[in-house]
Amino acid sequence: MLSALIWIPVIGGIIIGFLPNQLAEKSRSLALVIGSIILAFTLAIGLQFDPNQSGLFLSESFSWLDQLGLTYYLGVDGLALPLIFINSFLTLIAIYTSSTKLARPRFYYALLLFLSAGTAGAFLAQNVLLFFLFYEVELIPLYFLIAIWGGTNRGYAATKFLLYTAISGALVLASFLGIVWLTGASSFDYDVLRSQVLPLSSQIILLLILLAGFAIKIPFFPFHTWLPDAHVEASTPISVLLAGVLLKLGTYGLLRFGIGLFPDAWNLLAPYLAIWAAVSALFGALAAIAQKDMKRVVAYSSIAHMAYILLAAAAATPLSLTAAVAQMISHGLISALLFLLVGVVGKKTGTRDVDTLRGLLNPERGLPIIGSLLILGVMASAGIPGMAGFISEFIVFRGSFSVFPIATLLCLVGTGLTAVYFLLMINRVFFGRLPLAFSNLPAVPWSDHVPAIVLAILIVTLGLQPNWLVRWSETQTASLSNFDTETLAEVRPASRSLLQPGQSIKESQWWRSL
Amino acid sequence: MDLAQGVQFVSFIILAAMMFSAALGVVLLRNIVYSAFLLGAVFISISGLYLLLNAEFVAASQILVYVGAVNVLILFAIMLVNKKEAFPALGRNWLRGGATALVCVGLFALLGTMAISTPWSIADRAGVAAEGSVIKIGKHFFSDFLLPFELASVLLLITMVGAIILARRDLIPEEPPESGLTETEAYKLQERPRELISVGKSESEDQS
Amino acid sequence: MEFASNFSDQLNVGLILPEGIVVATLLAVLIGDLILGRRAARGLPYIAIAGLLLSIVSLYFYWDAENPTALLGSFSGDDLSIIFRGVIALSTAVTILMSIRYVEQTGGALSEFIAIMLTATLGGMFLAGANELVMIFVALETLSISSYLMTGYMKRDSRSNEAALKYLLIGAASSAVFLYGSSLLYGLSGGKTILPEIAQGLAQVEGGELASAIALVFMIAGIAFKISAVPFHQWTPDVYEGSPTPVVAFLSVGSKAAGFALAIRLLVVAFPLEQPQWRLIFTALAILSMILGNAVALAQTSMKRLLAYSSIGQAGFVMIGMVAATQAGYASMIFYLLVYLFMNLGAFTGLILFSLRTGTDQITEYAGLYQKDPLLTLGLSICLLSLGGIPPLAGFFGKIYLFWAGWQAGLYGLVILGLVASVVSIYYYIRVVKMMVVKEPQEMSDTVRNYPAVRWNLPGMRPLQVGLVFSLVVTSLAGILSNPLFTLANTSIENTEALKSASTFLEETTAQNKEVSLADPMAPAIVEK
Repeated sequence: MLSALIWIPVIGGIIIGFLPNQLAEKSRSLALVIGSIILAFTLAIGLQFDPNQSGLFLSESFSWLDQLGLTYYLGVDGLALPLIFINSFLTLIAIYTSSTKLARPRFYYALLLFLSAGTAGAFLAQNVLLFFLFYEVELIPLYFLIAIWGGTNRGYAATKFLLYTAISGALVLASFLGIVWLTGASSFDYDVLRSQVLPLSSQIILLLILLAGFAIKIPFFPFHTWLPDAHVEASTPISVLLAGVLLKLGTYGLLRFGIGLFPDAWNLLAPYLAIWAAVSALFGALAAIAQKDMKRVVAYSSIAHMAYILLAAAAATPLSLTAAVAQMISHGLISALLFLLVGVVGKKTGTRDVDTLRGLLNPERGLPIIGSLLILGVMASAGIPGMAGFISEFIVFRGSFSVFPIATLLCLVGTGLTAVYFLLMINRVFFGRLPLAFSNLPAVPWSDHVPAIVLAILIVTLGLQPNWLVRWSETQTASLSNFDTETLAEVRPASRSLLQPGQSIKESQWWRSL
Repeated sequence: MDLAQGVQFVSFIILAAMMFSAALGVVLLRNIVYSAFLLGAVFISISGLYLLLNAEFVAASQILVYVGAVNVLILFAIMLVNKKEAFPALGRNWLRGGATALVCVGLFALLGTMAISTPWSIADRAGVAAEGSVIKIGKHFFSDFLLPFELASVLLLITMVGAIILARRDLIPEEPPESGLTETEAYKLQERPRELISVGKSESEDQS
Repeated sequence: MEFASNFSDQLNVGLILPEGIVVATLLAVLIGDLILGRRAARGLPYIAIAGLLLSIVSLYFYWDAENPTALLGSFSGDDLSIIFRGVIALSTAVTILMSIRYVEQTGGALSEFIAIMLTATLGGMFLAGANELVMIFVALETLSISSYLMTGYMKRDSRSNEAALKYLLIGAASSAVFLYGSSLLYGLSGGKTILPEIAQGLAQVEGGELASAIALVFMIAGIAFKISAVPFHQWTPDVYEGSPTPVVAFLSVGSKAAGFALAIRLLVVAFPLEQPQWRLIFTALAILSMILGNAVALAQTSMKRLLAYSSIGQAGFVMIGMVAATQAGYASMIFYLLVYLFMNLGAFTGLILFSLRTGTDQITEYAGLYQKDPLLTLGLSICLLSLGGIPPLAGFFGKIYLFWAGWQAGLYGLVILGLVASVVSIYYYIRVVKMMVVKEPQEMSDTVRNYPAVRWNLPGMRPLQVGLVFSLVVTSLAGILSNPLFTLANTSIENTEALKSASTFLEETTAQNKEVSLADPMAPAIVEK
């Protein structure tokens, strides 16, 4: 069942890739069919989910390379399920929004499906080595997707993306090798590793390596330079996937492996991580103000919004972890919507320059529906109540404030800045007088509106019915943050002894008294 | 020290001095023909040393192979080329010479220290003398060194084949191959010579 | 009578049957060429391939032999040697596939070329099993001299001549150094030439540390020359540039595999007590090879030189397993060499195919190749990505296994360097792939624009196609289905008595004289709990 999520797109991709020449135009329809099948499978898996139970509700395990400790162990729990759903959903949207007149369609759709398979595999993997394998698998398809169907400077952006992500992968692998060797575990299985206990010093080192690896992928402030380039050069569907799903691999890794495998070190480093999150959020927001390219604005806003996840993860209260997952989902949907619409604007007007575009909201000759949807997306991103963004950001701050008040306040400022840069952009692009140059825009066909409308409906629905956003991961994240509760002493007796005698876990979180 | 040992010692000194001075001559003399002849002297002195060690087979083959074949070949090569060429003097020659000397003396000192300080386990030297080294070598060839001995025959065979191939003149077939491959210009392999190697032309020109 | 049977037991000639088959094939090729003449000799390469495959099959029958020592101890047919001999024979078989068309088109004599290559294979196979100093030297020379001959095979090309001369001179010097080292071993151990006996002899000598250290260094220098580890790699760029491409393929796979086989057997069996020293030397070699090989490969514009430098870097990765000096380390070396065989030879097949069709090997000339030759693009891309260690291709698993074995042995710095080096290597491999796949039709190079129609039915092209598809399939599937290969590599190490007895010998000796007390970096890091 779970393997189907990986193997259907792989086999589909291979079939599409080897279609004979005369059938090349059919590849888009075929990819759409395969994407729909995957989404249906994902929904079927979701139906089996019981939100009250933590742990894997579906799993598959085969031995693969025993000598290496690599098992083909897939599983899905409340943390992975929403992300898998987002992946399948956005893959379908990406296929749908891809141009029908694409060069080399077979290769394109095959790569898209491989990408989807790799991402699904990474979310499903319950063996850290398997996770790493899938984490690296998505590298090459995405490289080609940017390098072949990207903008003018695509070669540079794609290579930059490739190198950054390859370094990120190397760091993650080093950390995984480290934990398995230092604990002497017999395999790389996640649950085996979780039950191991490491001395605090080695935990800190390994966690730092892991953090650096994922921070490149997410990306956080000093490691972010590849992301704006990649977004600007990538075509719209690829930007949607990159922002909506692929960046989530990093935050997912932080939650699953950072907190899950190195709880004590995470506790110790949390205050610094919170500060890092605040810096990254403010940086992203300030940088977004300075941008002229609409896609760059959205890209930098993405950096800012991903930082909230780090804040929530650093706080590591049950509420904030739930919030982190909710933020991943809502950011996935919102950034997908924003990139989609910015893409449409860019395609219709031929430019994404904020200084050139004016008055596109003109109901007669502009892009009124696109404009309205974009305003809705921007509102969601800025955290206006009634939309998914508000819910997730609210609980992020609600959950983290008690732990890191200052960092949370700084991040709140970042949210305020979101409104600033997005309103600046909207104000320039959509209001004012429509210049003559843009007065004869081709009409946007109805089919181009569909994915954006679906996303918008989803965003509003989740905003009005927040339980659907939060319910999935509540139990699972609560169990992930269990090192925070008193039961820790029973579950992990050894980790207690690491601390100074007589000092309880609660007391060791010294910053809480601040 | 009895008489036999004395004679042995004196012969060793003479042979070593001969070899040493001849070797110095090989390296230091400017005329290459002298160097080649002195190399022969070095080989002969070495075979004398082998004789002192009761290794008459090695001594004989040393003379036959090195003096009779290798050295003669070198002389042939020198005579066939026989080309005077004025090499431009290199600057700071003394520095190069000094560095080389330093490395060589260092290496010699290291190896010398090792040879003296190591307790070599010198076992049954008497047996060699009694039986004669040819018989002993023959026995080894057909018992415990059988495999390398047989492998050497394959090695010699293929060396001969290879030497012939490298030395013979290739006839480029007149009729074009049946394929259409060589017709187009683009099919010229990079390994095809761009021009024939002309004797005496400097390599660097070809390289460019 | 009893003597005779006893003697034949000791000879145990059956063990070298695979090599016997290679010799028979070699003679068949030479004599067949003489009798049948040039025209009729077209089938000879296939006879050679058949002979090599037969030899591999016969290797299978000696798997896990009861008495692995043959010919009075000069040859060891244990599983370690069997797997290396298999690798060498297989690499030659694939190399012959790619050389048929190449040699004919460059105007060389094909059957002699194949005969020389078979001799090199023979030398390599004997080297992998050689258990005695004289045998090692003769086998090494057989391999080397055949390699010199093949390097100079394009005698009308001055670069080929230059390559051969350089290779001959440097190679002869390194052989001499190796020989000097062996003579020291012979003297130190009291006139022993069989490796395990040398180890025992060395253990009994008091005060021979300097001499054994010099012997060790000299012998490693000889081996490092063969596997072209930095700083013994200076010959590589020129020789790889000048020699015929199939020869480069053989040198970078078959010859290297033989060198690694020699390294494992010689160092583990004859120098068990010097393990910390040779691990240190190999650490330095591995670090230098990984850094220099990958860094210089970045700057190459010719595909042949790129592969040459990348093979130096790849040898650096393999040396991690050697430094680990554990069973997992050796097994990971074997596994990596097995997959490296296919991906590297696949890349070389692609390179040869391209240069046969266009006459160039500049990387920029590959631009837009996907339009004209999709199969070549696919095969070359997959092999290069696999060399870069992209999952789920075979090279990824090989590298993971090497790094994992290295990490288990506590070589954190080396493994992290390896990770960094593979990131660098991804960059230059992807550069080629980008040229072929990413470039738009209007960016196509002139060479590709004039690309001839793909015709596989031309003489000698079919073997190239077979080689390319075979390497492609193995490279893409050997990773996912790698369990049999893993098991093969591991059991071959486990079944090899020589490695086991060497490690027990090390333990016994260290237990006996505590005052010697080797610093044992093999001991796992103890986790304070």
